[in-house]
Amino acid sequence: MTDYIIKNACVYDPANNVAGEIRDIFVVDGKIAEEPSANAEVIDAGGCLTLPGGIDSHTHICGTKVNFGRYMSPEDMRAGRAPRKNGMRAVSGYSIPTTYGNSYRYAHMGYTTLTEGAMAPLEARHTHEEFRHTPLQDGLVLTLFDGDWEVMRAIANGDVKRAAGLIAWRLNAVKGYGVKLTNPLGAEMWSWGKNVECIRKPIPNFNLSPVEFITGMIEANEMLGLPHSIHLHCNNLGKPGNYTCTIGTMGLVPDLNEKRQTAYLTHVQFHSYGGSGWSDFCSKSEPVANMVNRRPQVTIDMGQVMFGRTTTMTADGPMEFNLYRLHQDKWSNHDVEMETASGVIPVMYRRKNLVNSIMWAIGLELALLVENPWQCLLTTDNPNGAPFVKYPEIIGLLMSKEYRDKEFATVHKSTGKRTCLAALDRELGFEEIAVMTRAGQARALGLDQFGKGHLGVGADADIAVYPIRPDRIDPSKQYAEIIRGFAQTKFTMKGGVLVSRDDVILADDLNRTFWCFPKVPAAYEMSRDPELISVFEKYYTIRMENYPVDEKYYIKRSMKIETETAL
Amino acid sequence: MRRITLIMREEMAECKLPIEAEAICPETMSKTIDLSFFVGNEKKKITEVFDIRVDGEAAGPATTEIILVGDCRRVKRVGEYMTAGKIIIEGDIGMHCGDFMTGGEIEIMGHAGDWLGREMLGGKIVCHGNAANYCGSGYRGGRKGMRGGEILVEGSVGDYCAECLFGGTVRVKGNAGIHAGANMKGGHLIIEGDAVMPCGDMFAGEADIFGTVTDFLATFREKGVVSVEGHTLTEFEGDLAHRNAKGILRVGKYIRI
Repeated sequence: MTDYIIKNACVYDPANNVAGEIRDIFVVDGKIAEEPSANAEVIDAGGCLTLPGGIDSHTHICGTKVNFGRYMSPEDMRAGRAPRKNGMRAVSGYSIPTTYGNSYRYAHMGYTTLTEGAMAPLEARHTHEEFRHTPLQDGLVLTLFDGDWEVMRAIANGDVKRAAGLIAWRLNAVKGYGVKLTNPLGAEMWSWGKNVECIRKPIPNFNLSPVEFITGMIEANEMLGLPHSIHLHCNNLGKPGNYTCTIGTMGLVPDLNEKRQTAYLTHVQFHSYGGSGWSDFCSKSEPVANMVNRRPQVTIDMGQVMFGRTTTMTADGPMEFNLYRLHQDKWSNHDVEMETASGVIPVMYRRKNLVNSIMWAIGLELALLVENPWQCLLTTDNPNGAPFVKYPEIIGLLMSKEYRDKEFATVHKSTGKRTCLAALDRELGFEEIAVMTRAGQARALGLDQFGKGHLGVGADADIAVYPIRPDRIDPSKQYAEIIRGFAQTKFTMKGGVLVSRDDVILADDLNRTFWCFPKVPAAYEMSRDPELISVFEKYYTIRMENYPVDEKYYIKRSMKIETETAL
Repeated sequence: MRRITLIMREEMAECKLPIEAEAICPETMSKTIDLSFFVGNEKKKITEVFDIRVDGEAAGPATTEIILVGDCRRVKRVGEYMTAGKIIIEGDIGMHCGDFMTGGEIEIMGHAGDWLGREMLGGKIVCHGNAANYCGSGYRGGRKGMRGGEILVEGSVGDYCAECLFGGTVRVKGNAGIHAGANMKGGHLIIEGDAVMPCGDMFAGEADIFGTVTDFLATFREKGVVSVEGHTLTEFEGDLAHRNAKGILRVGKYIRI
C-alpha cells in the first residue's frame, strides 16, 4: 500500500479544532500518522481546501425501493449516461442512477461514507447486494422498526428490555447499523388505509401511541449502547401544519447520551410546514429551529428541496399516496409483511410553484436559523428533495447571501410572504460547511470513534481536497467557484487509497460495511424466544433460520461493531 | 440538390447484427459522407456497409435527399434528429426511424420497424407498408410521446400506436393492435380500420376509429353521434379512470369488454 505526504494542505478539521491551517498530512498504511514513512509519495495540495472525507448521514442509494424507482422510471436512465472508460463502468441515471453512478458521483464530490436511510429488514439482502456494488464508499444501513409488530407489542406492554432484545436480534440478523423509525406506527395504520394523526392518539389493536413508541425506542436504543441514536422521520411528513407534531416530538427527547444527540430527526424541511391546507401553506422553520437551538440532545438534517426532476421514495406509504393524489402520475406502494411499508413516485419541483418554492426556502432557513452547525446537517434526503449532486449548489446558497437573493428572485413571487429566508443575512464559512457535511455526521452517527469525519492522528485517511483556495476566495461573491469546487475534488482519498483525481476514478472495490452487534445477555437473546419463533411460523413468508443475512456472502468487508448493553 | 444513394452491400445480407445508423440523416450527410457507425459492437466505415453514389451538390440539409436501397430491416435510427431534407427508403426499415425528427420528410416504400417516429416534434413520415409496434409513441417511462408533425401509415400498425401522443397527427389506413392511443395527452389519432382496447388512460386529444373497436373500455361516457369524413361515429369522452379527463374518442362499431 502506498503511503502519502499531502503537502501544503489548507486543513479544516472541526472535530480537532483546526480551521484553515496550512499543514502537511501524513498517510501511513491507510491512516493519518504523526510522522511520514520513508518511501511516501508526495502530493502537493497547493494550499487548497482539505477536508475529511464527506459523510452522508441520510441518503437512499441501495435497496428495494431505490430499485423500484429504477423500474418505474426508465426515463431517468436517459440522463447521466457515460460509457465505460479507464476502468470505470458504464453508468446512467440522474435521480436514481446505477450503483456505480452513485459511487462515482459521490467520490467526485469527496464523499467516502454513505448511510442508507431506510432498509426494510426483510429486504436486507438486496440492500447489501447493492452496497457490494457501491465500490468507493463505506456503507451503513439504518434498519426500519416503525411497524415491527413484535417491538410494538413489547413497548405497548411496557417491556422496553424485550424491545431492546428484539432490536438487537434483528440488527444482527440483517446487519444493520441503527434504528430508523419512519412515520412511527404509520405503516401499521396504512395497512388499514389510514394514517396516524399526530403523536398523541393511540392506534387501534396495539393501544400504543407514537409518543409511547418513540420514547420506548429511544430508551431501548440507549440500552443497547448503539453508536447512533434513533433516526427519526417524524409523523405527518409533508402535511401543512405538521410543525406542531415535529416540535412535540422534539419535546419528548430526553438527554441520555453525552457523546452525541439522543434523537436524530431527519429531513426536517418536510416537517416544518405551517398552515391548514395548501392555500395558506407557509414556513414554520423559526419555531422548529428555536426548538432545536434549545435542545442540544436533538440533531436534525435539512432535507433540502432543489428545483428539478427527482424521485421520492420513503417507507412512509400513506404520504406517498397523498403525493400521488396531488400529482396523478406514477405511483408504487409496497407492504413489507409485519415490518414496514413503502411508496415511490417521481416528482418535479418547480420554481413557478408556490408550495415548491416555500419548501426550497424552508430547508435553507433551517440551516441558517439553527445556531450550532453540529445540530443541522446538510442533506437533500437524496433523492427525495433533490439528487445528491445538488449538494454543491446548496453549499453555495448557504455561503452566499448574494446567491440566495439571486435565486430568490427567480422563485414564485409570493414566497417572500410565507417565508423569512430573505431576511436572513447569515453566511456560513468553510468550517461550518465542514461540520455540516462530515464532522457533524461522524459525531451524529457515532462514527468518529471509528476514525471517520476527522483528520487527527489514527483516523482513517479519508481525505477530500477541493480546488478552492480559502485564502483567495470570497465565498459570498464567488459562489460560482464554490459550487464548481465542491462539485469535483482535486482528489479524493479513501482509507489511504486515491479514489479519484479530477474527473477520473482511479480505484475500485474499497467498500466496507459497518454494522452493530449488541452483546445481549442470554435472557434477551431472541433467537430462541418462543414468541418470536411462533410469529415467524405463523405469519412470515420466510423461515426464521433463513431470515438472517449471511455475513460471508452478502457483506463485502464486514466491520462488525460489538456494543456493550445495559440489559 | 444533392442525392445520395446508399445501396446495402451484398455481403451484409449474411450479417445478422443491428446497424446503429443515426448518421444517415441529411444534416450529417450534407456535410460529409465519410461516416462510420456501429455494427453490433464494432465500429465500421459506411463504405463497408453501403455502396454509395452521390449526385449533385447540396447547399445544406434542406436540399439533400438520401435514398436507401436493399434490405434495411436491421438498420436502426435512420433520420434521427432530422430537421430538413428527404429520406426515401425503397424497402423495409428497422427500428427507431425518424426518432425526435423536427422537420423534413421520410418516405418508406416497404414496412417500418418498431418505434417509427417516436417522440417526433415535426416533419412528415409516410409509410406505404405496415408499421410495427409503438408507431408515433413515447419511449419507456416518458410522459410525452410524439409532440408534432405527421405520420401516415398506409398499412396496419402494431400495438401501442400513438401511446402518450401529445401533439401532431397519426393516421393509419389499416388496423391497429391493442392499446392504440393509450395515455394520450393531445394530438389527433385516426385509425381507418379496426382497433383493440384503444385510448386507455387518455387525458386529452382526439381519436377517431372508423372501423370496429373490440374490448372497448367501460370508462368512457357516451356523448352522441357525429359524422367524420363520411363515417357515422359515436362520440365518447374519457378516460374517466382519470381525474378531469378531456379526451374525445369517436368510434364506428364497438364491442364492450
